[in-house]
Amino acid sequence: MKNRVIESSGHRVIVLATLLSLLLSAPLASGQKPKRSAAAASPEQAIVLRGGKLLTITHGVIEDGVLVMENGKITAVGKSGTVAIPKGARVIEVQGMTIYPGLIDSETNLGLTEISAVQSSNDLIEMSDEIMPHMHVYDAFHAESSLIPVTRVNGVTNAIVAPESQDTLPGQDSFIQLAGRDRDQMLLLRDLALPMNFTGAQRRNRSFESAKYPFTRMGMATQLRQSFFDAQEYGHKLADYQKKLAEWQKEKKGAEPMEPKRDLKLEALLPYLAGSKPVVLSAEESNDLQTAVDLAHEFNLRIVLNHLTHAQSILDYIAALKVPVIVGPIYEFPHDDQRYDAVYRLPAELAQRGVKIAFASYDSHNARNLPYAAGYAVAWGLPYDEALKALTLNPAEIWGVSDQLGSLDVGKMANVVVANGDPLDVRTDVKMVFIQGRETSMRTRQTDLRDQYMGK
Amino acid sequence: MSCDRRPGTPRALSARFAVSLLTVMLLAAAAAAQQESTWARQPAATAPIHNEVLIKGGTLLTVTHGRIENGSIYIKDGKIVAIGQNVTAPPSATVIDASGKYVMPGIIDAHSHMALDDDVNEATSPITPSMHMLDAFQYTDKALYRALAGGVTTALLLHGSANMIGGQDVVIKLKYGLGRDQMLFPNAPISIKFASGENPKRVYGGRGQLPSTRMGNFEVQRQAFEDARDYMHKWDEYNAKVAKGDKDAMPPHKDLKLEALADILRGRFLVQIHCYRADEFLTELAIAQEFGYKIRAFHHAVEIYKVADKIAAANVGIATWADWWGFKVEAYDAIPWNAVMSMRKGVRVAIKSDSDDYTRRLNQEAGKTMRYGGATEEEALKMITLNPAWIIGVDDRVGSLDVGKDADITIWSGYPLSSYGLVDKAIIDGDVWFDRSLPGLGLTHYKEGQ
Repeated sequence: MKNRVIESSGHRVIVLATLLSLLLSAPLASGQKPKRSAAAASPEQAIVLRGGKLLTITHGVIEDGVLVMENGKITAVGKSGTVAIPKGARVIEVQGMTIYPGLIDSETNLGLTEISAVQSSNDLIEMSDEIMPHMHVYDAFHAESSLIPVTRVNGVTNAIVAPESQDTLPGQDSFIQLAGRDRDQMLLLRDLALPMNFTGAQRRNRSFESAKYPFTRMGMATQLRQSFFDAQEYGHKLADYQKKLAEWQKEKKGAEPMEPKRDLKLEALLPYLAGSKPVVLSAEESNDLQTAVDLAHEFNLRIVLNHLTHAQSILDYIAALKVPVIVGPIYEFPHDDQRYDAVYRLPAELAQRGVKIAFASYDSHNARNLPYAAGYAVAWGLPYDEALKALTLNPAEIWGVSDQLGSLDVGKMANVVVANGDPLDVRTDVKMVFIQGRETSMRTRQTDLRDQYMGK
Repeated sequence: MSCDRRPGTPRALSARFAVSLLTVMLLAAAAAAQQESTWARQPAATAPIHNEVLIKGGTLLTVTHGRIENGSIYIKDGKIVAIGQNVTAPPSATVIDASGKYVMPGIIDAHSHMALDDDVNEATSPITPSMHMLDAFQYTDKALYRALAGGVTTALLLHGSANMIGGQDVVIKLKYGLGRDQMLFPNAPISIKFASGENPKRVYGGRGQLPSTRMGNFEVQRQAFEDARDYMHKWDEYNAKVAKGDKDAMPPHKDLKLEALADILRGRFLVQIHCYRADEFLTELAIAQEFGYKIRAFHHAVEIYKVADKIAAANVGIATWADWWGFKVEAYDAIPWNAVMSMRKGVRVAIKSDSDDYTRRLNQEAGKTMRYGGATEEEALKMITLNPAWIIGVDDRVGSLDVGKDADITIWSGYPLSSYGLVDKAIIDGDVWFDRSLPGLGLTHYKEGQ
């Protein structure tokens, strides 16, 4: 692997200056889908990656390809010689390199922890109650966490940030970009999904002496059902008020209707009851999955499934649900009576049944290793192209950002990775990471330490 | 989040445990009386294996002498008898076709706590050197099977890190399906586990006990060795009197803890130290020098890259992770280049798991060292074979494909140092213990419900 990234022109300083001014002037809209940045003062210098192997995801592999990035977007993709190089572009020769869209991690705790054992650095979950849909991870998201560059330099450009899973409803997820000047630039989507955990680990105080509701799965299910009923009732009350208010406003007769007291917890559940956002349903055992799916159907929730570690006996049932599955790290242990590869094979088994899968690291410090789980799943029968899709286009579709992310296509946000080989292999070194068409720093807390002691 | 072992809930001494302690005490006393230099307290080898096997036609990753394309290995009575491109075997030999496959030594995990139930830490005193992990070895634990299926053939099962001086460790071969004693690595040296840093101070400091700081940690350790010196002196005096024919001489009290500490000073153990920080490696080296024992390896060892020249000069190995970091303060400066940077300074480096999960894919972890710092194939392989074998003290027996060594061999589909390698067969002492092509669990010596 002697290939190197060769620069053909030295505009780095200018590019950096432009980049900074853009960063300062163009915060991404938060709370909505990622949008094109507000118009910059001057157009950015185009960047061209020339001569690499392009893994486009949507239209195959292009050997000796050219990719053009302008103003944060991919503006051309094609075979060398068929793509016009914009005037004044910074051309980077990437012969021998593999170019692919930034990877998307479908569940992390990035920005919610710095050092796991240091409680004061953790904002992972609010454990004081089990029903906490009004917790928003963006309120804790620490944009300056040293974990974010460490993850980014391995080619992960976007991630779901979720709370930990010891509550049935621990709070709502955000979707982040792993580069940006501050949290407003990095939080692309806020409250885009609601995790609903039904693994048994959400039961409280597992001894009779200190028993606390919900002490059993029956308790968990009942508590969830009651919460959804309460939210529905609250929704009706709100609708009723809106209706009365509208009537009152027509004639202004009598007393103005009283606005019901705002309930943040119940309010948080309304978009999910309306089916406008997905509920990410985590279960490990078959029976838990079925209980939770029944509950979701009862309230017409739109679901994405998560984990399913030990649900091998109902794979056809899962496929028939026609919903996406976050397969996560395939390293969770099988049951003792299962063959050692039962969980390793899960992504292949699901994909074979036509299920749309996406990978998640469920991690923070080790989120950088996300692609290797997909690689190992390939060894266990997942077609290579499916594995790549499960890190790019599939999660982009699941999280509603496929118009912007997930493939090397013209018009998409230029989140692009340059590596010296197969992205799914542990031996591959990532050389450059572009986010929104800008080259991001490959310097991390770890490379600083390396460089400080190298040669000493 | 995975991290090094947190102390488990201590259990009351069981009758069986007490009995086995007594047995060990008698053995220890006998050994001490004879002033033997052997460490062998583990039961000796099982019955010798009589077999002949020819592994034919694979890409052999020998670890010590490069790759042999289209090579073969002839195995007799559990040992490698011949290896090369022109190896023949008698027609009676069982032939294993390895064409198109990679063949390498079995993986050796120099840091594991698998199959110890929740008995990893006797977290009731910071000095517990007379604990024997063998007494907790739960040899039917399926974690062993899953590790074997990932290519691990030998592992060191260690006491946890709650105590400055923990306990005596057990070396096993992963012959899953056999009884406890048949899984022990015959005549392997005994390792003893030390710890340092955050864990001991948290465990005891959390109870308002000594140690609650690193100062306390090391003082507890020094005091233990002072006590051991005093104990040895008393026995020396007594033995001298006996030698002079003093029939009235009263033997000093036999104390298991002090006896084990004395054995450390007598050099009867391989000392394995859980240690993260650069300053603590240096303190541990200084204490070892002060009391005259050798350190075999630092485990976890995430900051070795800061002082690698000193560790290399002391001929101390390290057993570290490929890329774990940030799970606690003393792991915050861990960098994935640690293994290769330290190796380039002359440190003998092993990649280990400390995890029932990662032990199943140490091959991939070793592969990462090729990326982080540019380890060669042979260097990366050594980190999961010959180097951990040295740390455990069995490098003359396992860890490479060399004539005379135990036939502990793994056969792979796909390149092992990549994301794609899968173990087809795991062979220990010339016998196949795991075979991926078999239905069910893929085990050859295990019956369901056993």
